[in-house]
Amino acid sequence: MKFILLFLSAALVNNFVLRYFLGICPFLGVTGRIESAVAMGFATTFVMTLTATIIWLVNHFILVQFHLPFLQYVTAILVIASLVQLIEMFIRKVSPGLYRALGIYLPLITTNCAIFFVALFIPLRNYDFVESIVFGFGAGLGFTLVMWMMAGIREQLDFAEVPEPLQGAAITLITAGLLALAFMGFTGLIGS
Amino acid sequence: MNLILISTLTMGGLAAVFALFLSIANKKFKVEEDPRVEQILGYLPGINCGACGYASCRSLAEATVKEEVLASACIVSGNDTVQKIAALMGVQAGSTQRKLAFLHCGALQSQRRKKAEYEGVKTCQAANLLMGGDLACSYGCLGYSDCQASCPFDAISVNGGLPRIDAAKCTGCGNCVKACPRNLFTLEVLDEEPDYRVVCSSLDKGKKARKVCKKACIACGICVKVCPFDACELEDNLAVIDERNCQRCGVCAQRCPTGAISLNSLC
Repeated sequence: MKFILLFLSAALVNNFVLRYFLGICPFLGVTGRIESAVAMGFATTFVMTLTATIIWLVNHFILVQFHLPFLQYVTAILVIASLVQLIEMFIRKVSPGLYRALGIYLPLITTNCAIFFVALFIPLRNYDFVESIVFGFGAGLGFTLVMWMMAGIREQLDFAEVPEPLQGAAITLITAGLLALAFMGFTGLIGS
Repeated sequence: MNLILISTLTMGGLAAVFALFLSIANKKFKVEEDPRVEQILGYLPGINCGACGYASCRSLAEATVKEEVLASACIVSGNDTVQKIAALMGVQAGSTQRKLAFLHCGALQSQRRKKAEYEGVKTCQAANLLMGGDLACSYGCLGYSDCQASCPFDAISVNGGLPRIDAAKCTGCGNCVKACPRNLFTLEVLDEEPDYRVVCSSLDKGKKARKVCKKACIACGICVKVCPFDACELEDNLAVIDERNCQRCGVCAQRCPTGAISLNSLC
């Protein structure tokens, strides 16, 4: 029950994009087409889950043991950068088309604040090993869900007649705002 | 002092572990790419018009390197580019014929009769689906600029409800041919000398054609009679000029009562 609550909290109630406004750049940048948006979401989920796992291990077995909590930030950057490198190589090998579709946003996962947030939140909230993984995975899936919804809406918007002053970035931001408003409805789902 | 040493060693150790891991992954996931793809991509226009049949310039470049297509597969680029690609691939390239888009309708907005007021979506595609929108002629140009929107080179401008093709900018990619719901565009081989052409596509009988448009070919047959070289013919109520016989004397254009035959220089 504890894990389900934690998962729902990370994915829906405290959704990273729409509640904390983290990871906005891929949220606005890669949501033009559903296919690339979902791929980006899963790539981020992968990096988030692995980051959560490794960060917990490094934190617990190295940083705490040697009394070096001030190195958390630097290790987080190191872990995330390496993982993004790894996934970049992997996607390039497995799907060159996807690699080009994601373009600059793939290396930009490195600087995705949502992932950094996961890395910093785990020691802050004293999650244990399994909790960290669930938290990272839930946050990633929540991110994917929001990316998917946004891309779906924007694909439909292509066929709508948007008033001229609102075309482009304006209507995208309005959509994002309305989506965030809708996600506020999940607040009552869990106590905190 | 001790703290500095420990933290340096920790970070260094961690970084070394990750570096080792990444270098192994790098070996495992290495992608071999032909450097010629990038070079050919540099030569190609890079606007991804799709006229060659590939989705993007990059896919064409990849196909060229695999020798699936000829060096001259890019319709849009000129002879220079083709020669460069051929040289890179080590093959001989034939010279390419330059083709341009040509519009088979010559009636301005003011010369076309309206049959209704059209308030729908302002695209040719939509108007054509709605029984031709406001245009009485069921063959002519609807004038809602679908071709202009489809042109990646800004070669088409719509003046007076009729598209004009800028021969200097047109590359013959054929996007307008696909975009026009009434199939009014064809790609014609660029000719040095001006041609006489029938700028009408109406297959209506004379009376009806004259009623809906001032510029229409009314299939009167005068051009067939006056042509000294037997180059003009009537096919399905529309004059057709056989380019093999045409000697460019211009009698047909002078005698055409509606001006449906006119001098068109493509270059």
